[in-house]
Amino acid sequence: MILFSVFSSIALVSSVMVIRAKNPVHSVLFFILVFFNTSGLLVLLGLDFFAMIFLVVYVGAIAVLFLFVVMMLNIKIAEIHENVLRYLPVGGIIGLIFLLEIFFIIDNDYIPILPTKLSTTYLTYTVYAEKIQSWTNLETLGNLLYTTYFILFLVSSLILLVAMIGAIVLTMHKTTQVKRQDVFRQNAIDFKTLSIAQKITQSDPK
Amino acid sequence: MEFAPICVYLVISLLLSLILIGVSFLFASSSSLAYPEKLLAYECGFDPLDDAKSRFDTRFYLISILFIIFDLEVTFLFPWAVSLNKIGLFGFWSMIVFLLILTIGFIYEWKKGALDWE
Repeated sequence: MILFSVFSSIALVSSVMVIRAKNPVHSVLFFILVFFNTSGLLVLLGLDFFAMIFLVVYVGAIAVLFLFVVMMLNIKIAEIHENVLRYLPVGGIIGLIFLLEIFFIIDNDYIPILPTKLSTTYLTYTVYAEKIQSWTNLETLGNLLYTTYFILFLVSSLILLVAMIGAIVLTMHKTTQVKRQDVFRQNAIDFKTLSIAQKITQSDPK
Repeated sequence: MEFAPICVYLVISLLLSLILIGVSFLFASSSSLAYPEKLLAYECGFDPLDDAKSRFDTRFYLISILFIIFDLEVTFLFPWAVSLNKIGLFGFWSMIVFLLILTIGFIYEWKKGALDWE
């Protein structure tokens, strides 16, 4: 219980600090802290694979992408002296809508404090699959992902393909042509078959 | 639980980094800390002419995006490798199709020379 409160409170505080920090690099660092604490929460839920994947993919790749964007934009800290209350009406409404959306997801029976569940026994969620034989998180995921839900899996591969090709198409331009050596052609040069002009340039010590 | 060693490891690494930062704060004399001339950029003794940031090369971003893509491919390989005896031939071939689709992207990237640097 104490670990849950530690992780969730640090996650909430650092997610607020993401938008409140003056330096954009600080806000990316708080963002990384949010991911670390969320990964800790996932470990508490018993999803150890997803916790490690959060660290590898989210922190190791997505937060790094954010850092690259911050580096690219070249924001000087002194330029940010905005009035915070300017965005409060619209931002507050959108934030409130996101908060209310959470109640669509949470089933009211799982929250002990709400008036529908005023009993004194704490409601625990029983994972019946765990009681029969204990599989690791990886095994349960792998058992279903490649057989029952294989279409979603192949769709995800298509999404990754689109991302790869899209990134290359958008950032490559003509000036990124590289001069390469053709090793086989260089090895196949025979002195007898060279022309006079080539021989002169080749015998030049420079 | 079995994650207790990870907790111990986290606490020790946190302590170590706090000690490393804190000792330098303790033992530095306050007069030699940051005064404005010390914090300026060094340009061979001249006054700094321009901002230190040069133009950002987009190739870094492309490398990190391609790293994400192949990292996710490896992430999908992990549960498959563990549960291969249960999913049988169908699971095997679905992963092979996944790898083939990503190999198409890999061939495209190789032929285009997306990771070549001058």
